[in-house]
Amino acid sequence: MENEYNITLKIRRYAPDNKRSWIQDYELEAGRILRFTDLFRKINNELDPSLAWNSSCEHAQCGTCAVKVNGKPLLACELLVENAVAYFSTTVFKVEPITIAPVVRDLIVDLEKAYKNVNKVKPYIIEARENPNPENEYQIHPRDLERYVEATRCINCFCCAAACISSHKGFLGPNAVMASIVRLMDPREQAKEERLELLYSEEGVYRCHTSMACSFVCPKKIDVAHFIALAKAGSFGSEPNR
Amino acid sequence: MANKFRFHSTVRCDVLIVGGGGAGLRCAAEISEKRPGTQVVTVTKVAHPQKSHTTTAQGGLAAVDPRDPVDKLIYHMFDTWKGSDCSADQNIIKKIVNAAWEQIVWLENHGMHFSRDGEGNLSKRTFGGHTLNFGEASAFRAVFEADRTGKGIIDTLWGEALRGGISFINQSIATELLFKGNRCVGAVIFKQKEGEFIKILAKATVLAMGGSGQLFRVTTNCRQNTGDGLALLLRARLPVMDAEAVQFHPTGIVGPGILASETLRSVGGILRNRDLEAFMERYAPKMKELAPRDLVARAIETEVREGRGVLNPDHNIKHVWIDLRHLSDYVHDVQIPEVTGFFKKFVNIDPKKDLCPVRPSVHYHMGGIPTNEFGEVQKGSQESILGLFAVGECAAASFHGFNRLGTNSLLELITMGKIAGEKAIDCLGGELNELPDQAGEMTFSLFSKFVDGKGKGNLGQIRQDMQTIMTDKVGIFRTEDGLREAIEALKGLKERADNTSLSSKSFVMNQELIQRWELENLLAVSMVCAQGALNRRESRGGHFREDFPERKDEFNYHTLAYMEKFGKVHFEKRPVDMSLYEAKDENYERFGVIERKY
Repeated sequence: MENEYNITLKIRRYAPDNKRSWIQDYELEAGRILRFTDLFRKINNELDPSLAWNSSCEHAQCGTCAVKVNGKPLLACELLVENAVAYFSTTVFKVEPITIAPVVRDLIVDLEKAYKNVNKVKPYIIEARENPNPENEYQIHPRDLERYVEATRCINCFCCAAACISSHKGFLGPNAVMASIVRLMDPREQAKEERLELLYSEEGVYRCHTSMACSFVCPKKIDVAHFIALAKAGSFGSEPNR
Repeated sequence: MANKFRFHSTVRCDVLIVGGGGAGLRCAAEISEKRPGTQVVTVTKVAHPQKSHTTTAQGGLAAVDPRDPVDKLIYHMFDTWKGSDCSADQNIIKKIVNAAWEQIVWLENHGMHFSRDGEGNLSKRTFGGHTLNFGEASAFRAVFEADRTGKGIIDTLWGEALRGGISFINQSIATELLFKGNRCVGAVIFKQKEGEFIKILAKATVLAMGGSGQLFRVTTNCRQNTGDGLALLLRARLPVMDAEAVQFHPTGIVGPGILASETLRSVGGILRNRDLEAFMERYAPKMKELAPRDLVARAIETEVREGRGVLNPDHNIKHVWIDLRHLSDYVHDVQIPEVTGFFKKFVNIDPKKDLCPVRPSVHYHMGGIPTNEFGEVQKGSQESILGLFAVGECAAASFHGFNRLGTNSLLELITMGKIAGEKAIDCLGGELNELPDQAGEMTFSLFSKFVDGKGKGNLGQIRQDMQTIMTDKVGIFRTEDGLREAIEALKGLKERADNTSLSSKSFVMNQELIQRWELENLLAVSMVCAQGALNRRESRGGHFREDFPERKDEFNYHTLAYMEKFGKVHFEKRPVDMSLYEAKDENYERFGVIERKY
């Protein structure tokens, strides 16, 4: 087991001030369990304080640090150096911003713009079904919850949208579609028709080419394609009062 | 080049909320639900509200279900009081505990995906310090959404805010509060993506700016938790309360600092030092690994301090081991899969075969911006500032006193968020929207100092040095000499910070500029934390003085710290509210100054 690796990061940079874009090489000595976010921090502290990158929790739970490494969309906070070396069989890594929204600077994209599709599907209960137990919780049988609970784990990191071969052609994107599917399967939601209308519209699930790249890249290991398949089949299975 | 030190625009709204985590969003949702059409602007430091630190909370939300045949509100109140080491405010405890279940139902009814029991009702689990009948048995009081309760809360609240038409200004920071006399009338905001300063004028301003874990070397907190809210108040010559009250979790995973939960020890994990000795036997011969959090944290810290720790070369952090190798596959796969998953993911080891590196990790700041029971910010012991509220981790009402119980923080976020939202609506009557006495001078002079800075100081290095000093001298063990050294060292760091220059003067998404501002905040909060710790010559909750290891009645008060200029701190006292005790109702004697023993 090696204790340190000599790593080259070829980082795609962009300066909004003069709209210049270039690839910059950074040579680093990196311990085996440093994460890519640690490498970016190391670059800031030791080599180049101007490199801009985004993160928040760095526990793989918020999705802010999504980037493309050697073409694969992933979370930089959970990519360890030694795993990256093993997975990509190289010590040279091309790091680029995730291609789901315009770049603001270097690795930082304008996430707000990417979120527009999520906003469009209304990621909340549009119209609540009457609660038979007012003043208490709705009863949802664990068997029913089990059908969609995996999809609620989505953190909107947009890795799936970046990998999706249909995303640039007017598709809402896998994560946005999945957010709507959750509410279609949620027995508390009444406004199923409104949801179906959008889901089966021009921007909806029929844009999906079933490449299943979404499931392949999902950092949370959600089988996104499974939920899209259910939507294509119209199999939401939560009739009110079932 | 155009002058960057000017306001690009002025936004007028009813309510400005700074911070879009659990507390800020709950406040926003309350206002849009109770008073539709109210113009609410929420400013977030992160890229999007869903990226807030609340999303990382795993455990649950404490609340007594009125249908529960054995649990009672009074038990939850008692547990919180005892846990706080008799320094929470009893009016706040009463208010939050009484409101808790209604808040859980609100979240569920608005779509949160809570875990369910066999009947389809909310599942509940136990958590340290939550008991029945005043400490007799564990209470099943925490509702949860698997191991992602905080994320469930944020998803639900952000959805509600979106539905309610709340405006968001993301990736932006509040640099200055605006006042007209004794009334807060808004804030100066710096929008990072645009590189612009704007003025937001509001009838009510709510600060929900999160914690300050980045003061220390190893923390569970996100990158943005740099004590910005506290520093904002200090800069306005307003006090912060109990800044010395910091909670250390005994076992953070080396590297990301993420919690390796108590469960690892309760299922039989053994702590070992460099020589693989099971050292807890020396510190707590009976309880060993199951001793209370603070005792375990001190034991680990002692091992490391006395040279029996292990150095992780990659992160340059000393740690001890938790040994899980002897546990059965069933325990690994069924009882602790999430946590063992963290070790695999972040350390690349297999806890079935390898020792796991852990060390204490800073988890929560009990101290914060002093408020009353409505979340209204106080400028002295009793007097409120009009139109200014603070909620969530940046605030101290105080529900947690000097030590917070697990699952009480999420409860506090949503409950105080709601209460402050209700109260903020009361501010909206008049045609106020007054112009502030002054606006921007402080911000512009601060930022021009950053931009014009000369010298070779390295921001990242200064920040690391500060975190090391805070961890070594103002951490788990504190002493008179150590704290004095820390205070002097912080002054030196402040000087170094003032002698740094930025590699780029651009204002657009200039991360280095933001880090420079954060360093200013971190140093200010470090200073009041260290001075507060020096001032409190006793031990209480998370604050442990090696030279004064016992709690003392003469310190039964909250510390209010003001900083006139860097390093010059003066203190006032705020009494601890004892209204449950003074009411002389049934069980009132449980709420006196009692021993914190488990």
